[in-house]
Amino acid sequence: MRYPPFLTIMMKQVLICLFALLLSGLAQAEPPRVDVPIGDSPSLGPANAPVTIIEFIDFQ
Amino acid sequence: MAAGPTVKELLQAYPDQIRLVIKNYPYKYRDFSKIAAEASLAARDQGKYWEMHDILITRSPKLDRASLIAYAGELGLDVKKFTEALDSGRHAKAIEDDLQLAEAMDLYNTPTFYINGRQVIGERPYAYFKRIIDEELQKAGR
Repeated sequence: MRYPPFLTIMMKQVLICLFALLLSGLAQAEPPRVDVPIGDSPSLGPANAPVTIIEFIDFQ
Repeated sequence: MAAGPTVKELLQAYPDQIRLVIKNYPYKYRDFSKIAAEASLAARDQGKYWEMHDILITRSPKLDRASLIAYAGELGLDVKKFTEALDSGRHAKAIEDDLQLAEAMDLYNTPTFYINGRQVIGERPYAYFKRIIDEELQKAGR
């Protein structure tokens, strides 16, 4: 079945909009991340560990 | 403040999967925050950072200069070298750099954590950290 050209273009636009909405939804689900420079700070565990925990502490 | 026991428990539960990095954020209006942070790095010079880190958390707030020197002795450090490092302010700049980083990041509480960059403010129960770590491991495909 063939649609008139203007309808095909509209359907394409609708699909693109849906895809963009989906992408922005995924982006919002991802928690915000902060890039903290590690430098020469004391560290424990392998440098290539999948999880890095940076802890800001005050001993007192 | 520091979340000693909880973090230690996590490191034991996830061997080889977690790297822990310590940054100092000594609160400016507390008497011994800065000198205690410097003491931890002075112990690091002698290969006993984590031992000193643990003792400082356990004995806090007793962190005056004399107590810190006594802890160095307890840990079997070279007390003379330790005291020199402390008194000469050898690590003052490193602590100051951490402090400036914390201020630039607008931190207002300790402990504050970044788990693969995800911020966690204050002490939280083990299960709270576990959930985030499990999510991160899953993302990493481990």
